[in-house]
Formats: sequence, structure tokens, C-alpha cells
Amino acid sequence: MTERIAAIGRSAIRKDAWDKAAGKALYTADIPVDDLSLGSIVRSPYHYARIKEIDRTEALKVPGVKAILTVDDIPGAKIFGPLIEDQPSLADGIVRHLGEPVALVIAETRTAAEKARDKVKVTYQELDPVFDPVEAAASASSQLHPEGNVVSELHICEGDPEGGFQAADVILENTFHLPRISPGYMEPETSLAVWEKDGTVTVWVSSQHPFTDQAVIAAALDLPIDKVRVKSAVIGGAFGGKEDSSLAILAALGAWKVSGAFRLVNDRRESFLAHPKRHPAQIKYKLGAAQDGTITALEAEAYLDTGAYASYGPAVAMILTETLGGSYRMPNVKIDTYCVYTNSPISGAMRGFGSPQAHFAVESTLDLLAEELGMDPIEIRAKNILKPGDDIFTRVRMNNSAGALAACLEKGSQLLKEYQAVEPQEGKKAGVGLALAAQSMGLGANIPDDSSHKLEWAPDGRILIHLGSPDLGQGLAAAAEQITAEALGLPYDQIQSLPLDTLETPNGNVTCASRMTYMVGNALIDAAAKLVQSLIEQAGRLLEIPAEDLVYQEGKLIKPDGTSLPAVEFISRLAEDSIKLSAESTFSFPYPADTTPQHLPLGMPHVLFCFGAQVARVEVDPDLGTVEVTHFAAIHDVGKVINRQGVEGQIEGGVATGLGYALYENMVRKNEVWVDGFTEYLLPTAVDLPENYQTIILEVPEESGPYGAKGIGEIPLVPTAPAVANALYDAMKVRIFDLPITPEKVLGLDK
Amino acid sequence: MQDFEFYRPGNLLELKEYLSLPGARVLAGGTDIIPKMRQGKFTAPILVDTSGVKSLDFIEDQGERIVLGAMTTHQQLAESRLIQETNPALREAAASIGCIQTRCRGTLGGNIANGSPAGDTLPPLLIYDAEVLLQSLEGERSLSLEKMILGPGQTALEPGELIHSISYQPLKGKWGSCFLKVGKRSGMAISVVNAAGAVVLDSSGQIADVRLALGAVGPVVIRCLETEKSLLGKRPDQGIFQQASEMVQHEINPIQDVRSTTSYRAHAGGVIAARVLGIAAERAARRKD
Amino acid sequence: MKEIKVKFILNGSPIEVLSSPNRTLLDVLREDLGLTGAKDACGGEGECGACTVISNGKPINSCLVFIGQVEGAQVLTIEGITPKDGYHPLQKAFVEAGAVQCGYCIPGAVLVAKALLDTNPHPGDREIKEGLSGNLCRCTGYQKMVDAVHLVIDGGLDD
Repeated sequence: MTERIAAIGRSAIRKDAWDKAAGKALYTADIPVDDLSLGSIVRSPYHYARIKEIDRTEALKVPGVKAILTVDDIPGAKIFGPLIEDQPSLADGIVRHLGEPVALVIAETRTAAEKARDKVKVTYQELDPVFDPVEAAASASSQLHPEGNVVSELHICEGDPEGGFQAADVILENTFHLPRISPGYMEPETSLAVWEKDGTVTVWVSSQHPFTDQAVIAAALDLPIDKVRVKSAVIGGAFGGKEDSSLAILAALGAWKVSGAFRLVNDRRESFLAHPKRHPAQIKYKLGAAQDGTITALEAEAYLDTGAYASYGPAVAMILTETLGGSYRMPNVKIDTYCVYTNSPISGAMRGFGSPQAHFAVESTLDLLAEELGMDPIEIRAKNILKPGDDIFTRVRMNNSAGALAACLEKGSQLLKEYQAVEPQEGKKAGVGLALAAQSMGLGANIPDDSSHKLEWAPDGRILIHLGSPDLGQGLAAAAEQITAEALGLPYDQIQSLPLDTLETPNGNVTCASRMTYMVGNALIDAAAKLVQSLIEQAGRLLEIPAEDLVYQEGKLIKPDGTSLPAVEFISRLAEDSIKLSAESTFSFPYPADTTPQHLPLGMPHVLFCFGAQVARVEVDPDLGTVEVTHFAAIHDVGKVINRQGVEGQIEGGVATGLGYALYENMVRKNEVWVDGFTEYLLPTAVDLPENYQTIILEVPEESGPYGAKGIGEIPLVPTAPAVANALYDAMKVRIFDLPITPEKVLGLDK
Repeated sequence: MQDFEFYRPGNLLELKEYLSLPGARVLAGGTDIIPKMRQGKFTAPILVDTSGVKSLDFIEDQGERIVLGAMTTHQQLAESRLIQETNPALREAAASIGCIQTRCRGTLGGNIANGSPAGDTLPPLLIYDAEVLLQSLEGERSLSLEKMILGPGQTALEPGELIHSISYQPLKGKWGSCFLKVGKRSGMAISVVNAAGAVVLDSSGQIADVRLALGAVGPVVIRCLETEKSLLGKRPDQGIFQQASEMVQHEINPIQDVRSTTSYRAHAGGVIAARVLGIAAERAARRKD
Repeated sequence: MKEIKVKFILNGSPIEVLSSPNRTLLDVLREDLGLTGAKDACGGEGECGACTVISNGKPINSCLVFIGQVEGAQVLTIEGITPKDGYHPLQKAFVEAGAVQCGYCIPGAVLVAKALLDTNPHPGDREIKEGLSGNLCRCTGYQKMVDAVHLVIDGGLDD
């Protein structure tokens, strides 16, 4: 019997990495297609305006132009939206943000499309835009949508907040401002659609939700769903920002119009203006505590700026609300959250989904509280930290995996002391800071969340995974392959994920919410068991042995006499009889009826969490106010490591994004113009990393997870900014309430 | 991308001939012009590519002055031993520009023609009394760098003219020079404010000559003449350089923009002014006559 | 607009292209020559390095070069450094070190790393990071790219 090295827990090389390194991987804009038409979008130059007229005459005269579409040319649904259908595919009489699509040009070349785009004459009547969500929420403000500017509101009242504050020895209240952030994936949005001769359309997407794309494309084209086929190309990053079907719809419309192939590519400027961002937020945060550090009450009011269209705003508002308690017991809680329309670019899903904003408020305040009470930041956290069995204010009970929080805090505390002992460079002021995080997994209670995937045993012995959710580049396919290898006792190299195709692949649901390894893994373990059962039954039939007398082990079937036969023999034999061995399984995110509170709106609460802590050491130039993160540690519990280098990669990348949130990134509006390029929107570069960086992975098993695994996708960027802000305070006694931290703010010279 | 005619001369004469066509502009590295053309901020019906004119690509020690061809790239400046030995501020500045990809294409002539007040090569050249040699079919003329750059993005270049070379005069005796910049991040950092300083000490250790230029604190790079004057004859120490950082406030006029504020630029300008002078003085003191 | 003829050496072989002069090397590589390894992530502003190619031994952003400017140059793309069978040691290292996530920035990063090692075979951490500072990545946080370059320098690649 051969020895099998366990497939999970080690670093597995992703199979798609080779083509990517060779420049051969086909992202949507790379796919070669004959007779390709190319497009360009006419976009609103105003933040808020009525459209009086669209004159295409001159534009249509440009040589090479095939067609120009406006809203009236859309045969089916003219609007879409994941939660609220409020977003027009092409503007319908009104534009609500700078860069909103108004018309679609289809041409033989990109140059012709762009020339024509510039010749489309749109007559606008400017209206007065509103950019502040608090102002927009006030009834005096102009209403951007028929139902008013407040898209959604949440009101939580648990326990006795008034009494809690009365009992407090110390009350702190501050307002935090969180900026507009771009997901910053390197591949801008792209879609390629081909109108086939049989009246169907095939659309390649760079998308987190190909099955949703399929449905909204079908609706826009007024086609039955089975006439729309969506295929997932190689995806160049998404981070939440690619849960928006706008470009896929327009590409399909273009292909339909010319009955051919049509590709649409956003440039980086268009990506900034017209694709979802992280919600800017204003959070008023008031915390009361007793002299011994015990938190007695929390009151918070949050305004989220969801921009011109709702996108995932209401859902982001939910997670922001739920995470305002952070990693702590909050006995008496009052929270009011408003998700508000403004004439800003759309805010939607972005990695963290409301939690980074909330955690900045929570974790900054914990340190402020510590100082006020003369306690140390570790002490105050230890006093209030959630333990298994504790209820959070949404009435969800923490399970055993919450033990990770104490472990993270313990490790964090050690590193904090280590970093404190480092001598600062001459002329610099050094400080250390820590932050904890609890990030929710899943879409939220009572939202159907079924993830289906299929395993197929190919005649050549390979196991093919029909992976129903796209790999965005984070390594979902490799994790799926490792889990499958582990479940079947087969080598990792024998498992292969297939590209997603709505024609063939089951619906795994959207890739998001730190739940993919969890959902996909659980589904595949079950599918593997079903596959083995199928194999045993078929083999029993062929061997004329009762199925229960056959044992499957690591790719072999063991007969009652002890002899074994390779499974692949049976697979080929079955293939000769045209019998395919496959098994599909659907895993539904568990919201057990007896333990899931039912008193909150649809989509709340979340019941499973990931935990982590991050520690930062900064050195500040006290005269210039420049902040350098010299040492950084990310401590994260993942339940069980599936792909070690995959987990590390997610953490390292998330930390870099978190540092961007802390120190560099801000999509501001200045003089009527939004920052819309990487010249002014600063992503961290390789030299902006901390010199001394470490990742520490903890494994506190999550019982319901595949081999105990949990999520890691979002949490690595959640505690970063508050850890850095806390370290800055330690160094300079300057408290920053609005991100990003800039030298100007450190020195009080930001006005 | 706009339409244009493109020419690639093989020598200097051909270059001048093409440049004399109406609307013709030089295309050197392209790292400034091409993004500007995409944004519609630069337009020309004719672009003349200078990369085939090898006689513009040189770094020469001509005794009294060091002469740099306009096509010298930032990376070449950053790697030049001659420049490190005669104008380390310029070497430091060039090495701090952008990233390796843009330094391998961006040219000194281009940085000057771009005329940005934040241009990193400008303060180190200004403090070394740089002169720019302009040529055209009509002849040639020499301008001080001060007279060359007139405002943000505006230079004294006339139609038909090209920047041939830039020269500066090395310092003698116990000298030192230094460049510093403040950016919003460490990589690919555009200067929020930058500074170049040079100090020459006499035999008794007093300041015999001092130069200071600050960038991104006004419409053009500013040579802080009053501050320089106030330092002459003094012995270098923290105190006098601290005073200098206050004096420069009267000579600079920074703007507020998406990158930074007036008050921060003014303050940071003062800080790095003191620092470049301090480092320059230390380097001067360490130099053997 | 009149088209121009441009002759240069691409991945070791002489090539002649015909193009309107207002197209960049990146445009020509991707649209005319089917070499889609070089990417556009920043909208042609030279801010991301995803379009990096090596020209006359130097790493450059191909989005910041009009096609006419490469006349006579030796241009190397990611396709050009990939042998017919197998991978360049840097490609292998990037893959094995786990530096490839979404992969969009990788061809540019591999080429800049190659250009770095061709001029400086033993860079330290700081030099590696500086060399990579013109290549933006949103997925990896760069740590494993640095590890990958070390794998090549320290000879730690799996055979």
C-alpha cells in the first residue's frame, strides 16, 4: 500500500499559476475572437443632471461605427441591482453620478468607438448634486430616487443602553470618518459576448457571480435563461468589486445588436468612476465602561454613503452594524445605521463589507478607553473579549472557535512587548499598537445560500471538479482540489478544477463573504463520499460482489479476499458502457433554526466568525509627520489550513490592502473631479511594506467546517488600520479619527 | 489617443529640420507626454522622436562644467559616478524618481521641458547654476535654468527649439550637496515638496557659499536667495539651519491641491531645507581639500 | 493618419510592423501580435508596471512608448523568456513561492525581476523591493515575490 502525503495543510502549487507566469492565461480581454467588434461607453460628465436629448447623428457617421445604443434600445429589463433594482444599464432620462453610462457605441475598432463616443451629443440640464450622506438623508435634500434618499435603515436596541451609560464610570464619544476606497484589482472590468447563430449568447465575464450575470443578461435581452451562457475567464482580482453585472449586460446588448462578437473593456478611469467602491462612512461611536474596564454600554450612529445606486449598500450596512461590537461583549446596545444615496460613485461590496469601517471605530475606542482608565490596551481587551458561549448583541452565541480570540490576543500581546523593546532610529518616535477583529462569514440569516459543485471521475483517472463558484485569483480552485484529494485519498496532482460554464457547471453561488473554502469544501467532501458510493455500487455490479463487501481506499477498491483493484479500471470500463461516474452535492450555509435569532431583518444576523489580531510598530518622523510601519504581525485563526501558501498569500495581500486603508488610499472629490487614477490614488508598493513582517496562523477547529477550516478572505485587512492608528497614538499622542493617516493630519496641518 | 505625424530623425540636423515644421514637438522618453496626451492635456500635430539622435545621449566632464545631453535618462544619472562625485544631489534626485521602468525612459531634457514645479532634477540643477543649451535650425542660445522655466508646465522653449544639453558647474573646495523629498508613499513617490542644498566651507569652517532650492512650493522651483545670504559667514550648526527653515517661509508660496495643503508644504519645506543644508554641511566638513 | 513601418527585434527575431504612429508598443503587442502577456492595469499612465517589457536590456512600461520609438530595439516580452518546454527559473520561482494569485501583474513583475538580476545578480531585500516598486499588486502584498527572487538567487528552486 502506497503512502499518501496528506493533501491539506501543506503548500500546494496552484495549477493555473504556470500559465499566468508564462503570460498565457486568458483574461477576458485576451481571449482571441474573430470578427470582434469593440465598444466604448458615453459617460455623464455631470454628477447629477437630467438628460434632455441624445443626438447620435454625427457619431454614427464615424467610419467603422456599427451602432449606438441608448436605454430605449434595450429589449428587456432596463434596470438591475442585486438588492434593489435601481441601477439603469444605460441612463434613463437622468444621470446620478459622474461617469454614469449614457450610451453604448459599437464599432469595428476601439479607435472608431472612442471617436464616435466623443461625437455623441448629449444635452444635459444640470441639477444640484448632494455628496454628504447626512445632508442627503435630511428631508430637505433633493431626492435622488423616487423612494427617497435613505435606502435602508437599521435600528438595534438591546438591553438597557440608557441604564448602561448611567452605570458607566467613563463615557467616550467620538466621530470617525472612513474614506471611499477602490477595490483596486489590477484587471479592470471587461466582458466579451458572442451572439451565436442559434440565437443564444455566450458571455465571458470577469465576475464573482456568473450565474447572477446570466439571469440579469437574460432579463435585459428579454431571453429565457437557457439562451444565455456565461463562462468565467481567468479573473484578475475582484475583492468584492466584481459583483456588479453592468459591463456584462452591456457586452451582451452589443453582441445582440450586431449579431456577432463584442468586447467591452473599462479603462482604469472608468473603473474608478463607474464600478463599486468601499462605502465611505461616518460613525458616531459612544462607549461606556466601568472603572475596572468592563464595557457597560454602546451607542452608535452610522451613515453609509452608497452613492448613486444601492448595489450591496443595505447588506454592507448590516455587517457594519453587526461588527460595531467588534470582538467584545456589549451588554447594552443602541445602534442606528442609515444607508443613503448621494451623487457620488456607487459604493457596493468590497472585501470586509462594512467591517473595516466598524472596526476602525471599535478598536480605536478600546485604546482610548484604556488610556482614560489608566489600563493597558491588552488588559482592557482581555477584560471584555468574547469567549465561547458568550452572546453578542445580535443574540448569536459564540461557538468553540471563539477561543481563538483569546489565543490571538495572547500572541498579539507577546509581539507588542517584543516590538516595544526595539530602539527607534535616531530622530524618530516609535510606537506600538494592536487591534483585534471578528469578521462574519456567510450572507446572513434567511438569505438562501446554496452552493452546488460536482465531481466527475474521468476515465484517465483524474477527478474533475465542476467548481460552481469562480476562483478570483485567491486560490479557491487549489483549496477545492486539496480538499477533494484529501477526501478521496488521491494525489493532489490528479485533481483538476474546470473553468466555470453555466451550461455545464452547477451553481455554486457568488464567491464572497469569507465562506468559499467552507461551502465548497463541505460540498466536495459530501460529493466525494457520494462518488465513492457510486463507484462501489457500480464496481459491485460489475464484479458481482455485494457493494457492502467492497472497501474504497486511496484510489483502490479492496475486495473481500484482500486483493485490490485500481478504481481507474472501473472508471474506464464504465466509460465503455457510456456510464459517467459523477456526484453532485449542495451545501447550504447553516443557520440552525434552534440557535439562529430571528428578530432581525432578512440577512441578519451572521452566525459564524473568523478571528484575528494584528500588531504594528511605527516610527514617525516628528517633524515631517511621515509614518513608517517598521514591524507588523498578522495573527489569524483559520480553523484548519488547507493551502498553507494560499492562506499566507491571502493574509499578506490583505495586510497590504489594510495598510493602504490606513496610510495612503482616498478617492476624494476635488474641484468637481474625482480622483480617478493610480497617480493620485496610491496603492502600497513593494517598498511600502513593513521591513519586518510575520504571519502567524492559528488553527482552532471550526466543527462545521471542512476538516475544521474557516474563512480568511476578508479579515486580514480589517484590524490593520486601527492597529496602525493605535501605534501612531503610542508614538505621537496624536489620535486620528478619519482615515487615511497622512503626515498633514499627524502634524495638524491638514486644513 | 489623438492623431499625429511621427518622425524619427537619425541625427541632430534632421531633428532640427523636423522640429522646424509647424506644431512639431520633441518626443523624448514619453513618460510625461504620453499620459498627458491620453488625458488631452498635451497635443501636437507632429511628434519628433529623439531616441535615434545618439549625440544627445552623453554625460561629459568638460572641465569647468559638467555637461549632460538632454536624452540622458534618470537611470543613467542615478548610476553615474561622475554625477555622484560632482553633484550628489542630482544623483539622489534622479534615483528617487518614479520606478525603474520610468527612470529607464524618462530623460533629463524631458524633466526640464515638462517644467513641473515638483520636478525632482530641478532643485539640484538650480543650486549648481545650471545652464540649458537650446538649439534650432536658426542657431543656438544658452539660458540659465531659472530663465528656462517660467511657470507650471511653461518653458522658454520657442517653436523649432530643442533642449540640447544641460550643464552645471561643480563646486570646489570643501563642498557638499544633498537632495531630499517628501512624498506620500515610498515607492513611485511624486514630491509633495523637495529640496536641494549645497554648502561650501572655508578653511576656518565657516560657510563661504551656500545654495538652497525648494520645489513644489511655488509655481516654479525657488532658489531661496535671502535665506542663502543670511547663512553666509556663519558656522554650520543646528541653530542656523533651524533659522533657515523659518526664513524660507518668506520666500516660498506653496499651493493647496489634491496632494497636500499649503500649511504642510510650507512646514515640510522648512524642515527639509534645514536637513539638506545640514547634510550638505556635514559632507563638506568631511571632504578633504 | 499615415501608418508607419517599424522594424525591431522581438523575442530574438526581427519583425516589421505597420501601424498608425499613435499606438503604443503595448497596443501593438496585444492587438496585432497576439502577445497578451503584457497587460494594462492603470490606463496607460505608467503607474502599474503590468505592461513591463525589456527593451535593450532595460525594463520599461510598454504603454509609455509609441510604436515608432522601438525602431531598432531588442524587445523581450514574457512570451519571449518562456522556453518552449518548461519555464524560466524566475517563472518557476514565482509559481513555487506562491507569488501568483490572480496573476495579472505577474508577467510584468517577472520581467522586472529578470532585468534586475541581469544587472545585479545578488540584490538584497531592499534592492529587490525597490526593483519591484513600479509593479503594483493588489493580491499578494509582494512578500512572496521577494521570496521568489531569493529562491532564484539562493538556488533553492525545486528541480
